[in-house]
Amino acid sequence: MTTTTSPRTTTEPRPAEARPARRRRPLRRHAIYLALVAISVVYLFPFAIQVATAFKTDAQAAEDPLSLVPSPATTAALERLLANSDFPLWAANSALVAVVVTTGRVLFAAMAGYALSRLQWRGRAVVFAGVVAVMAVPQVVLLIPKFLVINQLGMYDSYAGMIVPLLADATSVFIMKNFFDTLPVSVEEAARIDGAGVVRTFWSVVLPMARPALVTVLILSFQGSWNELSHFIVSTQSPELTTLTKGVANLASGALGQSQQFPLRLGAAALMTIPVAVLFFVFQRRITATGEGAEKG
Amino acid sequence: MAAAAAPAGGSTARARPAPAPRRRGGRRSTRPGARAEGVAGWLFVAPVLVLLGLFLVVPIVMALWVSVSDWDGIGSPFAGDVGFVGADNYRELVAGGGLATQDFGTALRNNLWYVLLVVPLQTAVSLGLALLVGRAALRGRGFFRTAFYFPSVTSSVAITIVFLFLFSSSGVVNRLLALLSIEGPNWFADPRGVLHVLLGAVGVDAGPAVLTGNGAVGISWWDWLAGPSVAMSALVLLAVFTTSGTFMLLFLAGLQQVSGEVLEAASVDGANAWQRFRHVTLPMLRPTLFTVLTLGLIGTWQVFDQIYTGTQGGPAKTTVTPAYLSYTTSFVSQEWGRGAAIAFVLFAIIVTLTVVQRVLLRERDVPLRRRWRGRGGGGVGTTGSGVPAAPGAPGAPAAVTAATAPGATSTGGTR
Amino acid sequence: MSRTPGRRAALALTGGSLVALLGLSACGGSGFDDGAATGGGSGDATGDGELSILIGSSGPAETEAVEAAVAAWSEESGTAATVTVAQDLPQQLAQGFAAGSAPDLFYVSADLFQTYAEQGSLLAYGDDLEAADDFYPALVQSFTYEDQLYCAPKDFSTLALEVDDGAWAEAGLTDADVPTTWDELAAVAQQLQTPDRAGLTFAPEYARAGAFMAAAGGGLTNADQTEATADSPENVEALTYLQGLLQDGSLRYPADIGAGWGGEALATGAAAMTVEGNWISGIRTDYPDLDYSVFPLPAGPAGPATLTFTTCWGVSATTGDADAAVDLVDHLVSAEQQLAFAEAFGPMPSVQSAADAWREAYPDQAAFLDGADVAQPVLNLPGASDVVADLNAQLEGLASGDPAGILTSVQGNLEPVVEAAGS
Repeated sequence: MTTTTSPRTTTEPRPAEARPARRRRPLRRHAIYLALVAISVVYLFPFAIQVATAFKTDAQAAEDPLSLVPSPATTAALERLLANSDFPLWAANSALVAVVVTTGRVLFAAMAGYALSRLQWRGRAVVFAGVVAVMAVPQVVLLIPKFLVINQLGMYDSYAGMIVPLLADATSVFIMKNFFDTLPVSVEEAARIDGAGVVRTFWSVVLPMARPALVTVLILSFQGSWNELSHFIVSTQSPELTTLTKGVANLASGALGQSQQFPLRLGAAALMTIPVAVLFFVFQRRITATGEGAEKG
Repeated sequence: MAAAAAPAGGSTARARPAPAPRRRGGRRSTRPGARAEGVAGWLFVAPVLVLLGLFLVVPIVMALWVSVSDWDGIGSPFAGDVGFVGADNYRELVAGGGLATQDFGTALRNNLWYVLLVVPLQTAVSLGLALLVGRAALRGRGFFRTAFYFPSVTSSVAITIVFLFLFSSSGVVNRLLALLSIEGPNWFADPRGVLHVLLGAVGVDAGPAVLTGNGAVGISWWDWLAGPSVAMSALVLLAVFTTSGTFMLLFLAGLQQVSGEVLEAASVDGANAWQRFRHVTLPMLRPTLFTVLTLGLIGTWQVFDQIYTGTQGGPAKTTVTPAYLSYTTSFVSQEWGRGAAIAFVLFAIIVTLTVVQRVLLRERDVPLRRRWRGRGGGGVGTTGSGVPAAPGAPGAPAAVTAATAPGATSTGGTR
Repeated sequence: MSRTPGRRAALALTGGSLVALLGLSACGGSGFDDGAATGGGSGDATGDGELSILIGSSGPAETEAVEAAVAAWSEESGTAATVTVAQDLPQQLAQGFAAGSAPDLFYVSADLFQTYAEQGSLLAYGDDLEAADDFYPALVQSFTYEDQLYCAPKDFSTLALEVDDGAWAEAGLTDADVPTTWDELAAVAQQLQTPDRAGLTFAPEYARAGAFMAAAGGGLTNADQTEATADSPENVEALTYLQGLLQDGSLRYPADIGAGWGGEALATGAAAMTVEGNWISGIRTDYPDLDYSVFPLPAGPAGPATLTFTTCWGVSATTGDADAAVDLVDHLVSAEQQLAFAEAFGPMPSVQSAADAWREAYPDQAAFLDGADVAQPVLNLPGASDVVADLNAQLEGLASGDPAGILTSVQGNLEPVVEAAGS
């Protein structure tokens, strides 16, 4: 649609006026790309250094921290890490807790979200208001009190104490509820007419439709529980229950009488990041989707 | 209930069909299965209810009791010999004048500077990144988005260790600064306040008597104005590094809502890029801005993981924050009542700031709307009104996801 | 025309969960009312025939030595025992006490002893010890509360001056140059200083600076801890002297020279001299080529002085295996066992009968034992550790700070602590 250059008050695209701008654009585009690349380097450089240093010797890490190429490249730090500390145990604990917590959160949040969104029951509004209110409570306030409650319930220093409190997450419920609100009711209605009960409708009809939100909650839950630190500090004391975050944090603050073994610590940090990084790369489209994907429901 | 859930900026054009009319009104009880639905509703929500009640509500009540009692850590806080001491713990914190007050004042000051630096920085950086990455015809956008968001995915423990290495006295940062002929400080071991250093550079070494002689919460005004310590500054950079990616995603989602038509109209009217940004884009980003600021405030006032892993409050107590102080007061010094009191004061601070910020951002709604009368200004109606109190952004569920990610779940991003 | 069954069910459910919630919290509470710590998860508090031991190790040498000693005892006595190294001993103990699942046996440092004893977390087993009469009186004093010896001192250390032999020779110094006064120390530190190496290093904490305060005739409190003397002129003199060294550059803190502690700085060549205690001998595990000599700390204006540190084997008040624990302690504080520990990581035996054997075996470390005669113990009043932590924090900024101001603030914090202890 060609247009004249007369001034308008409508908002049709006007290629004629745009042409001068296009001439300027390549320079501007180059500048923007340059800026983006430079910033990406700043953001990714620490991780490159982290991986590179994990393969350096202590001495080289101290002398030449900038170089991305270890010479000689050695796995001594990683070997020391696996031999002298309980790193595999920590990883196993973290994995166990993350898997159980993720499964639990997804299930409970889906159930609660569905109930808050689709089912009719008395007190629904009150409960939802409560969930929203609870989301506003800052985590730090709960540090001491959760320890007290876990203690009183006899769950201190046990897997139960590590896992059960993490299953409670108002944010996941909020996400699921919002998602269910956007689903068309027709499919459910059809199932009801066919005689399916509430549980069956939920399990076989609605849940499959909720996959995007379920995946979102799954990713967030896994990430949250894998990276959790303060809860594990207050809920356990036995070395057998140490998770990756707690173990590596203690590595970092260092034992008395030990030197700062950076390759070992950076190697530990790099290893513990791998699972969340993998999950992130696999699902990155979904995580970083800025609304395009959401419309598909 | 439906109203609270209605995403104000509904990106879903197909929106929600009118809520099944059959469910309203008094017909409910005659529908078959209504009773089952009622029971099912409660059953479905029961696990979450019990868990949230047990591990969120009950702990708060318990901590409240501990903060007004003299429980010493042995046995149950509800045992018979634990006495009620009223506001003693709180008074000791805020007005006692002893070491407890000094430590609390120091923690408040440290965290205040942290917040003052981190929140504006992370908001500006993430907005800038979003503007850069959100441009329509950008190749490799996915790569850049991933690169900027990746730090937010990693654990705060891992990132802190990396930063400890980068900022060590002969580490990467100091080597890079040396290339520019600047001698970098021993970052994490330097307790000097940045403002004091700057003032010292222009010759002001000690504060005027009125500032050093008087103070609040146990430390002098001169110490309040010391600024963040060099060590704290490194932590500020760490925070911006890890959270800018998450907030960038929020801004990207928000930018999607900024109507291209309005921008075009603005450029037709002769607005240059900066004016378009200030008068069209920014106002339309208001809900997102509000979310980002709220999440930022909530997160920065609770910083704990990085302190625990990296500095343990040092050097010279300049990285002690109320959250960390609450932990050490209870779990190391065994002053459980005082530790709980610190936590509640922190809670009050966070809630107050969130409310204040919400009020401040809502007021200016009307004047701005008048400015772009008729130019799609009516479309700016998404601001303010429908935003829920909880940190959930209006918009598509994906945006909600990203928005709530750094909120209540401990992803270590905003901590 | 509304039906009520659905509502009744819902109400019942709500009511039920609320009751359950309250019941759970109440039940847990009353369980503790009985005083029996049955809530703990790890079962440490119930006599299960196995001992859990928590130590705050100074390094791998100490950890191995303790594990070996405990294993030997386990074999002999038939009782299993596990040694765990604490990341943060006070924090882990505090958490354990609160949860009722404290380890059976653990290190208790002298400065925290009174806090734990007052709390009732410790079992007073001093009277059941075989070696009760053999301990040094000063050590017994550190671990006596309300006229009862609570726990057995496991060893003790004093501070001394350690010098890198290589650096010493390089600077052309001889035995005659060993500093015996503060001025000589300052001079020698200057001489040993090079662009890559500090002359002297030690951590900015009371546990090092306090030795200088003592040598000036001061100290945080008077001898029987009934009066706070933090802001005395003698202390100001000591801190001013240290400030001078810092400003010269001859004294540098380990963190500023890239080391975690003084011993590491000495071993890596970051410093030529350091002030540390007996535990420094453990550095040889990681740095076997290090050669250093030990000298008494230089005398200050009031004469020679040093600090002494001691730790005891605390037994939890809620342990179910008290007899086994005390038996283990007897084994661990016996003269032979303590001499074995001394060989592994250097501390001096807490029993007087082993003193001569130790002196014979380690003539080059005689300075540590000699220091015992002029040593000042650390504060052990409840709440004092927080005041000391604050002093440590302020010492980090000593180079540009005001010694009198620092000490005045410490005095202000210390007075309530001393008062509370006296009442």
